[in-house]
Amino acid sequence: MNEWILFLILFLAPVLSSVPIALAYKRKELVDKLPLLSVFGIFLSVIVSLYIFFCFPDKAFSYPWIPELGIDFVIITDYLSKYMGVITTLIAFFIAIYGLDYMKGDYRLPWYWFFFNLFTASMLLVVYSDNLFLLFVGWEGLGVASWGLIGHWHRDDDNLTYVGTVDRKVGPLNFFWPPSAGGWRAISTIRFGDVPMFLAIAAIWFFAGTLNISQIEWGDLFVQVGFAGTLIILLLFLIGLFTKSAQVPFSEWLMTAMTGPTTVSALLHSATMVAAGAYVFIRITWYIEPWTLHGIPGVETVYIIALFVGLISGLYGALVALGMLERKVLLAATTMSSLGLMFGATAASYWIHAEVNGMNLAVLVGFWYLAIHAFAKASLFLVSGHLIHATHSRFSVGDIELGKKMKITFATTIIATTFLVGIPPLTAYWVKSAMDLVMEHLAIEYSIAPLILLLATSIIYSAVLARFMSTNFIKGEKPHEAHVEGGGLMKAGYVMMVSMLFVIFGLIFTRPELKEFVHAGFEPLSIAVGIAALASFGIALYKPRMPSMQKFSTFLSDRMYFPYLNDYICPKIGFFFSRICDYVSRGLDGFYNTLVMPGLFGMISESIRSIQTGELSKYINIVLGVVLVVLILVSIGGVWL
Amino acid sequence: MMGLSMPMMMMFGALVILTLCSVFSVKYRDLGFFGALVAIILGFSAVTLKNPELIYYTAFVLAISIINLLSLKGIKSVIQGVDFGLVGLMALATLYIFSTQDLAMVLAAFVLVSVPTYILVMIREGGANVEVGIKYITFMVLATVLFLIGAVILVYTKNEFNGILYIFGYVMLVLGLSIEVGVAPLHEWVPDVFTSADPIPMSIIASLAKIVPFVIALKILISTSCSLTVSISLFTAVLAAISMFTGNIGALTSKEPARVLGYSTVANMGYVLACIVVVIKPEFFYFALTGVLLMLFSNAAGKIGFFNAIKNKGAYSPLMYMLAFSFIGIPPLMGFWGKLFILVALIKAEYIWLAAIIVINSAISVPYYTRLARELGEGWKANLTNYICIAAVIIISITILPDWFFKGMEVIAQTISIAI
Repeated sequence: MNEWILFLILFLAPVLSSVPIALAYKRKELVDKLPLLSVFGIFLSVIVSLYIFFCFPDKAFSYPWIPELGIDFVIITDYLSKYMGVITTLIAFFIAIYGLDYMKGDYRLPWYWFFFNLFTASMLLVVYSDNLFLLFVGWEGLGVASWGLIGHWHRDDDNLTYVGTVDRKVGPLNFFWPPSAGGWRAISTIRFGDVPMFLAIAAIWFFAGTLNISQIEWGDLFVQVGFAGTLIILLLFLIGLFTKSAQVPFSEWLMTAMTGPTTVSALLHSATMVAAGAYVFIRITWYIEPWTLHGIPGVETVYIIALFVGLISGLYGALVALGMLERKVLLAATTMSSLGLMFGATAASYWIHAEVNGMNLAVLVGFWYLAIHAFAKASLFLVSGHLIHATHSRFSVGDIELGKKMKITFATTIIATTFLVGIPPLTAYWVKSAMDLVMEHLAIEYSIAPLILLLATSIIYSAVLARFMSTNFIKGEKPHEAHVEGGGLMKAGYVMMVSMLFVIFGLIFTRPELKEFVHAGFEPLSIAVGIAALASFGIALYKPRMPSMQKFSTFLSDRMYFPYLNDYICPKIGFFFSRICDYVSRGLDGFYNTLVMPGLFGMISESIRSIQTGELSKYINIVLGVVLVVLILVSIGGVWL
Repeated sequence: MMGLSMPMMMMFGALVILTLCSVFSVKYRDLGFFGALVAIILGFSAVTLKNPELIYYTAFVLAISIINLLSLKGIKSVIQGVDFGLVGLMALATLYIFSTQDLAMVLAAFVLVSVPTYILVMIREGGANVEVGIKYITFMVLATVLFLIGAVILVYTKNEFNGILYIFGYVMLVLGLSIEVGVAPLHEWVPDVFTSADPIPMSIIASLAKIVPFVIALKILISTSCSLTVSISLFTAVLAAISMFTGNIGALTSKEPARVLGYSTVANMGYVLACIVVVIKPEFFYFALTGVLLMLFSNAAGKIGFFNAIKNKGAYSPLMYMLAFSFIGIPPLMGFWGKLFILVALIKAEYIWLAAIIVINSAISVPYYTRLARELGEGWKANLTNYICIAAVIIISITILPDWFFKGMEVIAQTISIAI
C-alpha cells in the first residue's frame, strides 16, 4: 500500500497545493505569496518521481476502480515512465521557479497557478498510467489546462500577447490571433482528436477485454479485428496523438498557442501536452512491438502513415520556422518539427530489429530525442520569455550589445541551440546519429524517402536555431528598450534547465542501453550529417536574414497558408453541416409544430366542427342517412357474406 | 312475496323508498336527495350480497352516483327533488346490470338508464331547456329503437340462425349504441347538447349514463356471437376509429370547455367501442372488459370533475391537471390503465391497426386536455366543486396498481352472458 501513498502525493500534491491560491483569488496579499506553495507542490512531485526512479522495480501496480468492466487504476513504473516522470517533474519545477519571477504582478495569478499545476499533474497521470482509461483522464486534463493557460490573458488587451503581425490580413482572413482565439483553436483541435481516440479506446476494450497497455495481447487483437479493424482502431487512436502533438495537418493550434505566458509555452512544448502525443506513441509501440508483427495485415500500413506524417511534419515545421519573425512562434514551429522526428523515429521501429538490452533501438532513439528536446526547448522558451520582458517585443530583436549585457541568457542560448541541432559531439548529435542510421536502414528495407526527409529537416532545423540565436543576440535589430537588470529567478530557471543537457550527455556515455548511440556517432554517415548541420548552423549565424528571399520568407512565415485550413475551410465545412442541421430542424419544426401538421389538423378540425350548425333537421338527415346507407350496404353485403 | 330472496327484497325496498321520497320531494327537496342516497346504498348492498365478486364494480358505481347526487345539490331545479330520484333510478339499474341474465331485465335496465336523462338534460335553473331536450330526445328515441330491435333480432338468431338477420341485428345494435353514447359519425347531438345544457346534469349524462349501454351491448354480443362475428366486427372497428379521430381532432380547435368535453366524449366512446371487437376472442375478453370499465369509470370521474369546474367557472388547478393527465393516459392514473387494457385486448384480438390508432389518438389529445386544465385551473377555494373534484381525483388514482381490479374482472367476465 505504501506505493499508493507515494502515487497519491505524486499526482495530487501539485493540484492540492494550488487550491489555496485558487480559492484566495480575491485577497491580493495572499495571492502574492501562495505561488510558493504551488511550487512546493511540484517540488514534492519531483522528490517522489526521483524516488520512484531509483527505488521502484519495473512493475505495474493495480488498484480496483470499476471491477465490473475490468478497469483498474494501473500505475506502471517501467523504463519509459521512470525517465519521463523525472523529466516532467524537473521541467515543471524549473519552469515554476522561473514563473515566480516572470508572472509577478499578473492580473490572474490564481488562474495561472491552478492550471499550471493541473497541467503538470495531468501529464504525470499520462506518463505513469498503464490503463488507457486512466491515461485518457490525464489526457483530457491536459486539454482543459492548456485551454485555460493559452487563453490566460483572456482580455486580449496587450499586443505583446498576440501571435502574428497585428492588423495583417491575407485575403478574407486575419493573420493575427489574440489569446482568446489561441485558447479556442487549441481546445477545438484537440477535442477533434480526442473523440476518435476515445472510440479507439472503447474498441480496444471491447476486443481485448482489458485496457492495460502492457497486458493487451496486441498481436492477437490485430489478428482478431483483421486488416480494416486494425487500420481503423489504430488510426482513430493516432488522430488523438497527432492532434495533441500538432502534426500535419493539425499543426495550427500550436503556433497560436504562443499567445499564452511564455512559461506555459515552455511547459507545453517540452514535457507536457505536445510531448504527451509522442510519449504515448512511444509507449504503445513499446508494448505493441510492431517489429514482431510483420505477418499481420494492417500494422505496416499504420506505421507507414505514422512515419510519413511524422517526417513531413518535421520538414514542414523546420521550413516554416525558417521564415518566422516572432521568437516564440519560431520555436513553436521547430517543436512541431522535433515532434515529427520523434514520431518518425518511433514509427521506423517496425523495420528495425536491432535490440539493445532488450529494447528496440528506434524506440529508444525516439524517446531520448524527446528527452533532449524537452530540456533544450524549455530552456530556449524561458530565454525568449526573458527577452520579451527585456526588449518588450515578441519579435526577434537583439544585437551583440544585448548579448553582452545578458551574458547568462546568451550562454544558455548557445548551449541549448548547439546541443539540440546535432553538432558533433554535443548531446543531440549522438541521438541524431542513431536516428540517421535507423533511416539509413529503412532505405534498404523499405524506402529512401525517410532518410532524405530526415537529412533535409536536420539541416534546415540547424539553420533555424542559428537564426534564432543570431537575430536575438548577434545580428538582430537594436532593441528599443533593454531592461536587462534583475530576473534572478528567471536566470536560475533556465540555467538549471539547460544544465540537464550535460546530465543527458553523461548518461549517453554511461548507460549500457545507449551505447549504440555512441557507436552510431562514429559512423561515416553520421559524421557527414553532423558536419552539414554545423555548416548550416554557421551560415545562418553569419547571415540570418536574406532580403532577396522576402517573398518566400513571407510564404513560410504565413505557415504556407495553413491557417486557411483551420480558420476558413474547416469552419466552412462546419457551418455547412450546421446549416443542413438547421434546415432539417426547421423543416421538422415547420412540419410538426408551426405549419403543416397544425394547419392540417386545424383544417380537419374546422370541417368536423362545421357540421355543428345547431339545426336539428340537418343532424337528423345526417344520422338517418348514415343509418340507412349502412343498412342498405349490409343488406347487399350480407347476402355475399 | 314468498320465494323472494333477501337481496331481491332489498332491491324492491330501494325502489319503494326511491318512489316515495321522489313523490314527497316535490315539497321537501332534501328528502329526494336522502331517499336516493338510501336507495342507492340499499341497492349496492343488495347486489353485493347476491354477487360478492361484483364488489369492485358496484363500489365504483356507488361512488360515481353519490358524487352525481352531491353535485346536483348545487343547482335549483324546477322539478324540485325529483331529479335525485331519477339519478337514483339510473344508479340502481347500473348497479343491477351485471347480476341479471334475463334479457327482459337487461333491456328494461337500458330504458331505465336512458329515459331519466331525457328529463335531466332539460334541467336548468329557473325553467326547462326545451330546445336541448328536443334535440336530445329525438336522437335518443332513434337510438333506443335501433338498439332494442337489434338486440331482439340478435337473440332471435341465436335460437334460429339466419346470417343476414344476424348481421342486421349486429349493425342495428351497434348503430343504436353509437347514437346513444355519441360515437361519430352519429355524434351530432353531442357537441350541441354538451354546450347548451346545464353542466351539472351534463356531468351525469356524460358519466353514469354511459356505463349500462356498453355493458348490455357486450352481454348481448358475447351471448349471440357466431361465425359471422369475425367479419362484421370490422364495421365496429371502423366506427371506433372514425369516432376517435373525429372526437380528438374536433376538440383541438374547440374553444368552449363544454364543447371540448363533448368532443372528448366522442373520442372516449370510440376507445370503448373498440373493445366490442374483442368479442371474437372470448378467451381474452376479460382484458377488454377491464379496459371498458376502467375507461368508463375514468371518463365518468373526469367528466364529473370538469363539468363541475365549468359550472363553478374554475376549480383547483392541480386537480384539473390530474384529471387531464388521466384522460391523456399518463401512468399510473386510471385513464392509462383503461387504455392499456384496451390495447392489450385489441392486440390479443389481432386488431393491431386499431391499437395503433388509439396510441396516435392519445397523442393528438394531449394539447386540448392540457389547455382545458389550464383554462379551468385556479387557486384553492374550499367549495363543493373542489371537494367533488377531489373525489374524482381519488377515483382516478385508486387503481395505481390495477391488478386487484383486473382479477375481479376475470371472474365477472365468465358470467357476463345472458340466458337465451
